[in-house]
Amino acid sequence: MLSVNHLLGIKDLTRPDIELILETAERFKEVLNRPIKKVPSLRDITIANVFFENSTRTRLSFELAEKRLSADVINFAASSSSVKKGETLLDTVNNILAMKVDMIVIRHSSVGAPHFLAKNIKATIVNAGDGTHEHPTQALLDSYSIKEKLGTVENKKIAIIGDISHSRVALSNIFALQKQGAEVMVCGPATLIPKYIKHLGVKVEHNIMNALRWCDVANVLRIQLERQQGKSFPSLREYALYFGINKQRLESLDKKIVIMHPGPINRGIELTSDVADSEHSIILDQVENGVAVRMAVLYLFAEKIKPQ
Amino acid sequence: MRTLLQSVQLIDPSSAFHLQRKNILFDNDKISQITDLKPEADEMIDCARYSLSAGWFDMRCYIPAGQEHKEDFETASRAAQAGGFTELAILPNTNPVLQTKESLQYVKNISKNLPVRFYPIAAVSLNCEGKEMTEMIDLHEAGAVAFSDGINPINNNKLIINTLEYLQPLSQKLILWAMDSKLSQNGQMHEGIESTYLGLKGIPTIAEKIAIRTALELLEYAGGTIHFSCISSAEAVELIRQAKAEGKNITADVAAYHLAFTDADLKDFDTNLKVNPPLRTKNDRKALLEGLADGTIDAVVSGHIPQDTESKRLEYDLAEFGMIGLETAFPSLQSFGKANFSLTQIVEKLAINPRKILNLPIPKIAEGERLNFTLFDPLQEWIFSENDIFSKSRNTPFVGMKLQGKVLRTFFSQ
Repeated sequence: MLSVNHLLGIKDLTRPDIELILETAERFKEVLNRPIKKVPSLRDITIANVFFENSTRTRLSFELAEKRLSADVINFAASSSSVKKGETLLDTVNNILAMKVDMIVIRHSSVGAPHFLAKNIKATIVNAGDGTHEHPTQALLDSYSIKEKLGTVENKKIAIIGDISHSRVALSNIFALQKQGAEVMVCGPATLIPKYIKHLGVKVEHNIMNALRWCDVANVLRIQLERQQGKSFPSLREYALYFGINKQRLESLDKKIVIMHPGPINRGIELTSDVADSEHSIILDQVENGVAVRMAVLYLFAEKIKPQ
Repeated sequence: MRTLLQSVQLIDPSSAFHLQRKNILFDNDKISQITDLKPEADEMIDCARYSLSAGWFDMRCYIPAGQEHKEDFETASRAAQAGGFTELAILPNTNPVLQTKESLQYVKNISKNLPVRFYPIAAVSLNCEGKEMTEMIDLHEAGAVAFSDGINPINNNKLIINTLEYLQPLSQKLILWAMDSKLSQNGQMHEGIESTYLGLKGIPTIAEKIAIRTALELLEYAGGTIHFSCISSAEAVELIRQAKAEGKNITADVAAYHLAFTDADLKDFDTNLKVNPPLRTKNDRKALLEGLADGTIDAVVSGHIPQDTESKRLEYDLAEFGMIGLETAFPSLQSFGKANFSLTQIVEKLAINPRKILNLPIPKIAEGERLNFTLFDPLQEWIFSENDIFSKSRNTPFVGMKLQGKVLRTFFSQ
């Protein structure tokens, strides 16, 4: 059993929680490769995917995970509906809950929105990304993918590269990787790295080659143009030139490293196509594993509300 | 009506009976006797555990006139009374802004039927927008106790210079909330380890530090006097300490709740802790307490900013800034500062220095004086509850907290 009642962030999970989720995900991955990919585990559970921010892959991945588990699923994209009419988050979600929903998968542009819901409503909350805070299922699927590729996360060196300041993926990954005994480095222009990040116990690097030489895995983040408040770097051209990863950079290393990306990729900016599509890359494995990991998360939290 | 306070401790450094216990007889609106005898009275209060001081004065209270669903003068006066305050200086950021004779007169008149007295702080700039100066001489004549843009920081050096120069012949004070708006832009909490951990955009200490430094330079150039309101960081305390040592004509205050909480308390995204300037670190809190103890910080303010549920029961970054502070000012000072300073110092910070800063008369505990006093129990431990809130808004994180020091009553005659 998990030690928490909601998946608000990796911060709140214990190492055994993470291990339990990853082990459970392994079983579901096996299910996903069967001819019949559907299991009846969540037959009496209703899940609402409430997305207050645009998302394609996370929403699809959750929806697929829910359907594979036979849950009843409703989708709600709010960016264009009630919020514009002035309805509060609490009202919106309470309206959905009034229709007898057991779990809420929420994505929201405000930091702490899932925590706010968890405090104020009666349903299990799964955070699918809150502002620049956490994206726990992404970090879990990233850990799963590293483990799948390298056998373990423990003692591995992971460099997270790009816009750390505006990234929920970075923060959740830092917590998840450290809890599993990995070493973490962040790399990017100084203006995209939080000033106090060192206090989280990560290494900080501003030279892409140093980062690549150091790491076993490079988790490359998307440059979040939409989250830049005031320009933090001069141009995409300069970014691509000095922080982008291309084949030449990878080939100059005396080892093979693993390339990850949470998507969607800005091809030619943080990754060139020949890297994104190369044997180094496990980007599509991440997407595949995302479904299995989300199935595990939903299954384990459903277990807490309806013990079987 | 004659009221006898029996065996009450006087906290009044100007009195020969300072720190002694006496029987004090109030006869209607005046002190008629301070004695060891026991004169007849209609009401007797056993004050063996209590202290009496000049009524407390709040220098930074925000009443969002024009948004009466959050607070009005009547509810604010009850909250003030519950917190031991008899007089308050009101920030100009009301709707309409305190920038005309009429609006100042309104604030002065409204006190007449209330158990406290309100003083208007007039706006420095039209609509507190930091651009055009208000008619300061006229506002001075109309009874402004000081000039400030209140909860709007002024990021306009020319305006600060002009104001300092213009106010000098009036012996008026400029009250500044020092904050560089560009550096604090979009910030949600103190920038530091906790904000990194929570993924929230920070308001860096340097935003305050740089604004204070700039203001000190402008003061040196223009002359005059500045009161720095609501300072929040160790660096600010140090800058002000140094500037005072150099003989600069400045004073400073801190909000009582900055002594009670730190950024680490924001872990659960409690929007009641979302204030500006933000709650900073343990180290900053310690420096604020030290600054109060050594006199670097002259006064403690309520920093009262009422917000209704609709402005607070929201996602953290959508919630408004502010905390109500009148009811909890003294207990936070006493609970979190008692190791650092004496009761006399507390009374100086709450009652005496604010009036000194604003050039207002200080009530004395002496025979013949009009009533303007606060009766309090410095040792009583109690749990702050919803029932202790008198403000119309309830945005406080103190509910459920065990506090030391309780206000029993204020005695005030207009």
